[in-house]
Amino acid sequence: MQLVSQTARLAVDVPAGFEARVSNRAPDPADDSVSGAAGGGLGLVHVATFPLPTDIGDFGGGATPTMAFNDILVVLLEYGRESVGTALFSRQGRPRLTVADFDENQLQHNLAGQSGSQSFFVENGRAWCLYVVLGSHLNRARAVPVVNDVVSSIAIN
Amino acid sequence: MTAAVVTLCVVVALLTLLVVALLRSHAEILRQLHELRSGVVPAASGAGGAPGFQTRPGVPMPRTGDAVGVDLHGMSPRGDAIAVAVRGQEHRTLVAFLTSGCLTCRSFWASFAEPEALGLRPDVRLVVVTKDPDQESVSDIAALAPAAVPVLMSTAAWDDYDVPMAPYFALVDGPTGAVVGEGASTGWVQVRELMDRALADTTVLRDLRTRGGATGGRDRDTDSELLRSGIEPGDPRLHHGVGPAPEDPS
Repeated sequence: MQLVSQTARLAVDVPAGFEARVSNRAPDPADDSVSGAAGGGLGLVHVATFPLPTDIGDFGGGATPTMAFNDILVVLLEYGRESVGTALFSRQGRPRLTVADFDENQLQHNLAGQSGSQSFFVENGRAWCLYVVLGSHLNRARAVPVVNDVVSSIAIN
Repeated sequence: MTAAVVTLCVVVALLTLLVVALLRSHAEILRQLHELRSGVVPAASGAGGAPGFQTRPGVPMPRTGDAVGVDLHGMSPRGDAIAVAVRGQEHRTLVAFLTSGCLTCRSFWASFAEPEALGLRPDVRLVVVTKDPDQESVSDIAALAPAAVPVLMSTAAWDDYDVPMAPYFALVDGPTGAVVGEGASTGWVQVRELMDRALADTTVLRDLRTRGGATGGRDRDTDSELLRSGIEPGDPRLHHGVGPAPEDPS
């Protein structure tokens, strides 16, 4: 099933059994520079193997504590256009993750046993953070190929 | 004279045929009236597996065959694109098809604002589905949407689930993907009863299938025990309780 957000200019092929939400976050009216590459909102994608709560935080807050051993949460979060060209976003194109990219200390909120990965990149002139949480660090070898399939299915326009 | 006799015979024969035809037609009318009164309709009228009866105007016909749940996708009232998985899940999903306009729906919108008070089983997830923004008022739905319950706007989901009216509810069993209960309702208590009955039926049917019948498992256990004791099918000791007791040889 393909999920398309015209406003966020994003599309995701949602695998069977997965849930997804594609949002277009409002830009900060107090800061002109904090807006998407198109001058509009900032894109945000959540793809998960478990039910996504309605009040999920940008980085999965409120959802990660419910994750089970096999669960996966993929977050793609857009940063403002002022981030393009900075050192943090020097990488061009989305990364292909490996088992070595995951660490129990890369989580926004440390939860025992879980594992995370965070990468920053620019694609189509838009700055992105790819944040992935695994329900268990022990499951990373099985989960990483699935994560890469999900990430590669996201179309950034 | 002969011509008159022959003509008379022909007329009598024709009249006889006419009377026979009228009697047969009358018998057919009586038979159909009898069937209408007793509610019996020939199986041929239920073509394609459809039930051989009609419901009153405005009342949907029951589904034919097993309904299958479909994963949901649509737009949230905030404009997010959302996909909600209902198949291949450990939990069940109660899909509530509501509108912003129907008066009955209003009570459900109000009830769903406090999901903890609904008494939902922990393994049941509530999802509300309205029609697309071109058939609904997005601002009304945004105002009615409960904070803690996913709400998505998707006419495709209404079509997938063949929703005949609003409010309408479908309970999807996650592991099998089957719609195990569905129907219209005027109040939450009714929905909960419908859901409890559907879940109880599902549990019983699953048990029966697992055990191969109402007493299948027990029968198999008994057979194994008997075989271990050297008692095989046809052994006379199996029938000692039936008929006269065997005589003591001593």
